[in-house]
Amino acid sequence: MSFSVDTPGRDAPPVPPLNSCVGVDLRGLGTFSRKFMEGKRLTHGSGWSFLLLLSFFLFPSLCGAEIFIEPRIGFHGVFQLGRPFPLEIELSNSGRPAEGTLEITVWKGGATKGGAPYPLYYRRDVFLSPQSRKTVQLTVDPDFISRPLKIAFSSPAGTASREIDLRRHFSPSPVILLVSEGNTIPAVSLSSTLTNRLVALTLAELPPDPRALLGVSHLILYDQSLRDLSRSQLLAFDTWLTAGGRMVILGSLNYSLYQEPTISRFLPVRVTGTKRISFHPALDQGERASPIADVWAQASTAIGGKVLAEAQGMPILVETSRGKGRITYLSLDVGRPPMSQWNGLPRFLQNLLAPAVGEELAPRTRWDDSVFSQLILSPSFISTYLPTGSLFVAIVVYLFSIGLFSWLWQRQSFPRRTLMVAFLFFVVLSTGGGYLLFSRGGNIPDGVLLSSSVMESSADGYVEVQSNLAMFSTQIRQYGLQMERGWMELVPVAAPSRDRPEPTVVFQDGSGTSRFQLPLREWDYRLFRVRFVDRFPLRAEFEQQAGKLRMRLNNQSAKDLADCWLVVPGQRYALGDIPRGASWTKDFPLASEEGQERSGGRRSDAVDFREISFKDKTREILFHSSFFPRDEGSVRWSTGAAVFFGWVKDPDRRVSVDDQRIRNYDYTLFRTIFPLAGPEDE
Amino acid sequence: MKDNPVLRESLDIFFTEGHGFTVYFYLLIILAPVEFFSLYLPSLDAQMWSGSANLFKVCAVTALLLTVYLALRVANQEFAPWRFKPIKRWVRENGLAISAVGQGQLAFLFLHVALSILLCTPLLIWAGAIARTPFPRVAGTFLLLLFYALSYGVWGLVTLALWERRAESRQVLIRCFFFFLVILSALFYLPVNPVAFLLAYIGRQDLPPLSIGAWKAPATAVHFTFHVLIGSIGLAAHRWALRKD
Repeated sequence: MSFSVDTPGRDAPPVPPLNSCVGVDLRGLGTFSRKFMEGKRLTHGSGWSFLLLLSFFLFPSLCGAEIFIEPRIGFHGVFQLGRPFPLEIELSNSGRPAEGTLEITVWKGGATKGGAPYPLYYRRDVFLSPQSRKTVQLTVDPDFISRPLKIAFSSPAGTASREIDLRRHFSPSPVILLVSEGNTIPAVSLSSTLTNRLVALTLAELPPDPRALLGVSHLILYDQSLRDLSRSQLLAFDTWLTAGGRMVILGSLNYSLYQEPTISRFLPVRVTGTKRISFHPALDQGERASPIADVWAQASTAIGGKVLAEAQGMPILVETSRGKGRITYLSLDVGRPPMSQWNGLPRFLQNLLAPAVGEELAPRTRWDDSVFSQLILSPSFISTYLPTGSLFVAIVVYLFSIGLFSWLWQRQSFPRRTLMVAFLFFVVLSTGGGYLLFSRGGNIPDGVLLSSSVMESSADGYVEVQSNLAMFSTQIRQYGLQMERGWMELVPVAAPSRDRPEPTVVFQDGSGTSRFQLPLREWDYRLFRVRFVDRFPLRAEFEQQAGKLRMRLNNQSAKDLADCWLVVPGQRYALGDIPRGASWTKDFPLASEEGQERSGGRRSDAVDFREISFKDKTREILFHSSFFPRDEGSVRWSTGAAVFFGWVKDPDRRVSVDDQRIRNYDYTLFRTIFPLAGPEDE
Repeated sequence: MKDNPVLRESLDIFFTEGHGFTVYFYLLIILAPVEFFSLYLPSLDAQMWSGSANLFKVCAVTALLLTVYLALRVANQEFAPWRFKPIKRWVRENGLAISAVGQGQLAFLFLHVALSILLCTPLLIWAGAIARTPFPRVAGTFLLLLFYALSYGVWGLVTLALWERRAESRQVLIRCFFFFLVILSALFYLPVNPVAFLLAYIGRQDLPPLSIGAWKAPATAVHFTFHVLIGSIGLAAHRWALRKD
């Protein structure tokens, strides 16, 4: 069965403008002709009106803007349900200049998210010159698609809007993208068992925002130069790859394309030329097809990764990792005979596109109202956003002063009238002074942004960061959350309060950076989970040997680690601080089964974090309630694992609110989990 | 009014002799710790996380209970009762008119309530500032405190005039009155209860209207009608009780 390819095209016809100045002109002409036919003499005023209307008819730029909206959804009209997708909007203006706001409304929440539906607005300021077109690229992320996506452009010169039913566009499984020179597709076919939609794109159509690629499982490059990829596209592509994307590079006869620096950074081989070889394909384990002679293949030398197949001393299939992602290189030209005519090609390619097995996701941290309540009610944290010390002093001073007044009153040291006036003055002064201190000059911020992150060590010096955010407010106001580069997902945890004054608005600029405008009531809060992919070259590698665990640590990051621990079943080792640049190898004994039995208990594979404590109470709460929750221990460390962790000093801020009235607190834990082999595995 | 002997006697006992300082000591020594420690109290509301959010509510309700309770007790002459001259002696021996006795008692009740609220003012204003309570709500809270303390406090004068010689009976009755109207009334119809109304007022919430068949009355109107009635009946009962003998 041939695979389906969505060709570029317009999704829907353009929408007529809302304010048609042509209509105005025609009405003016109609009035004139009616008056003319009725034989009435035109007055001086009506003649001028007619000329004015005629001029609007002839020179449309003198009247309002005529704006057309033309959207392009996902990748040629396809996107994966439940994942962000690119939305390209072409705005055409055939009237006078219009400076306005483009607003896209999607729906979040709903039954699948366990809450009431609420709108999320994406906004961008757009200037449309007369007789011009402008393309705006955004990444939108609706939670459900039963309600239409609404696009509206509003400006003083003109408005236009349009609704799109997304149900026609979704795919339940991730999309596979094929980027090929000139949008040509190799004449190959895939097995009908492949459920993913394959979409052919040109290089220019790749989105500049990595989040837009989250609904893409694989990106296939064939016979394609990446020279024209823009910087933001390249960055987005790189970020998506390190966050878990899969890239398949298929070789072609035009080997010089593969020698360009842009594509070389992804290739696990150095391409030197082409060669005809005899290829012995291996379809499945132990199953080999008959050899194919005179296959065009790129001659190359492996420079990294793992060579999975070789032929005549040349690497044929090489796989390498990049962060959490993977790059597969096939040196064969599958688009040209004889490979393109080989019957086994669909199955062979399907193996390349198969999802990786055995990959475990990092254990999720816990982040909900109960964790937040613990945190916010801890006395050590309360003093960071409330003037508890000042209030205590003020109360004590006030009570003492009242006592002093009553003592002076009874001793009659001063005239009672004077004392009464002084007492009244004191009460008024302490009231006013205290009000000013606690409302304006006090230690109360407008809001606090708390970020607790876990950096999960990944390959090649990359880390996956799970950031848990709490934005809480002491008063009614808007908060602008600025996301740093590398963020992939932002998921609200707590349901929005019922009487929230305004919905959340996302501002996206052209380079893919996003800012969330979040309205909060007084003493209100919102919880979010954010996922980032970042570079953090700290390597903690383990090697299990008989009765001991060898740990190699190399901190090439720019950050120091504090309060580091290694926890193995039955034991824990305090490692203290690990400064930047530190590198060491240490052996740690593993508790033996006999030793544990001698100590009176059965051998337990579980790693126990209960005894670990930190001086900073906020760290303590985060560690025991969020990162390693006691009540719902992760399978990863309850079945025997070595866990190394340490607190990152002065962590980089990934989400910020640029306002002096808002406090930022960042807590980041670096963590590596190494599964230990049990006695039966040994 | 300044020369009213009943008022002068009360002022002398309370402030010159210092017997009344206990009342204000109780007021402040309860309110101040409540204010400080309620910062650390957890809240039941999932969207309002801590005592800091409810600081003004907690302090205002504490101040309400204390001012009303202490106003009832002060009006009932529970502090230094042996020092007060009985009403009959004012009338028979000093030849004071019944109306003058009543006015003196009412004036002292008003002065006591005003001083109680004045002493609470800094603590409540600070709580309002920390909890970011809008200033009009804070000002409204002070008016409500004054209103409730006078509406209920006048019943202390009623019991005093009715059973002047039976101090223990008065004390029991005053406490029953306080617990029933200020606390237990919430069980029957929430908007009538002063604590519920004050919380709803500060929290800008609407209480359910009173529905009798098809007829509905707004909760605010019901609440104020009820309390104006309580106060008016109390005043009438006080006047009647004074004239009874």
